[in-house]
Amino acid sequence: MKTHTALLLTAMLLLSSVRASAREPVEDEGHPIPAPPVPDPVAFVVPAGLYYVTDTYVADVVATSEATTIYSTTTAHESTGSYARVIDTVDTGASSPFDGMAFNGRGALTNGQALAGTYYENFVLTASGYVPVSVVFFQDDSETRHLRGKPTSTAAPNASATAAPVVTTTQRRDESAAPPATEQQVPIAPARPTMRAGISLAPDGPMLASAEVLRGRLVQFWPRVFADDVAVPIRSWRLLSAQPDRISAGRGSTQPFAAQWIRMPAPGVNWSLRFEIFSEVAPMERLEAEISVTLRSPALVN
Amino acid sequence: MRQDEAGTAALTTIVMLPLLLVVLVGVLEMGALRAVAHRAGAAADLATIVAVGDQDQLELALSGKLRLAADAADIARDYFARNLSATVPALGASADAIAASADIASFPTAPSLDPRTGARYDRPTIRLIASIPIRTPGFAALLMPAVTTVTVRSVSSPR
Repeated sequence: MKTHTALLLTAMLLLSSVRASAREPVEDEGHPIPAPPVPDPVAFVVPAGLYYVTDTYVADVVATSEATTIYSTTTAHESTGSYARVIDTVDTGASSPFDGMAFNGRGALTNGQALAGTYYENFVLTASGYVPVSVVFFQDDSETRHLRGKPTSTAAPNASATAAPVVTTTQRRDESAAPPATEQQVPIAPARPTMRAGISLAPDGPMLASAEVLRGRLVQFWPRVFADDVAVPIRSWRLLSAQPDRISAGRGSTQPFAAQWIRMPAPGVNWSLRFEIFSEVAPMERLEAEISVTLRSPALVN
Repeated sequence: MRQDEAGTAALTTIVMLPLLLVVLVGVLEMGALRAVAHRAGAAADLATIVAVGDQDQLELALSGKLRLAADAADIARDYFARNLSATVPALGASADAIAASADIASFPTAPSLDPRTGARYDRPTIRLIASIPIRTPGFAALLMPAVTTVTVRSVSSPR
């Protein structure tokens, strides 16, 4: 009887059991939880031919000198933090797929032909990359004509100009003279900045060729890049050679390089740090910077 | 030993014992004095070394050169008092008073000339000269000064 009762109770327990929702402690041992997939960082696409703008558009200028009318563009030497690239160079009368896209338009000669010049596309750097913002046409053309009577001068500043164009006129009546040679001007384009790289001991400090460092002290070194003496953001840096006992990282971007020396060098020997740096202005241009480090330790003087 | 020789030995002992005690007390007190003076000197050394570590970070960022901070002398004085506090029972004045009266000079740039000692420093330097009054009760028992003053000197620089 007891045996039957026990079997009955066991059967009831088994039939009425429910699945436990508790975690099995050893269930996932040996099977590491896969990390959630991290999307690859979006490739930072740099448009080809991009450079940092150091001369910005001011106005279109039409100047007449004797029988020659010159169509040019004035610029101001300033950096607005934008970037640009050449997208098309057109000859006189030639059409371009960018006609009508430039905010300053494309003028024409007196015979109706479109002016020669260069189209530039302007970019601004955002967190998502280089974003095109506008197209500008740098006119660069001239025409010569035989005049009878009073010479004329015209100035055709564009409506979007922010400064008055420079117009030079000359009144002369020696029309029998041979027409002046037409000078083909080089298009006014933003100059490529001169890049310099160096190391400083503060985020906005000057670049130093050498520095004295106390033994055991954690010192931060800031790779810096200057474009025409203007500080520009760093895209990345990498430590090429060094002898510190402890370092923060071998590469980085906006963070400084931190180093600490414990071992003293032999007398007269200086450590040095050499970096490879890429800037946001010229991401493809590899720059190198080096700083000599003289390690010193507080000591008693006899 | 005969009885007359025993009497001579006792007499010699009675005569020489005070002299031996005087010599013994003097030697012990001199040893204690030297130990305290050594500890005071170590306190001064550590204070100047700590002060040398107090560098002007702005100057370092601008020129890359080590230069003592403006408060380096105060740092040395503060740490000198702290270091002396462990020796206070043997001192004839408080640690703060001794540190306050210490002649501590900072030479933040180099080269520089110490007007007091005439020394020339090739590095930014901290110099400390202090008079340390030390209790000498053994000397007092021998009718000598109860406090003996010793002078400690410490000079540190980053080298």
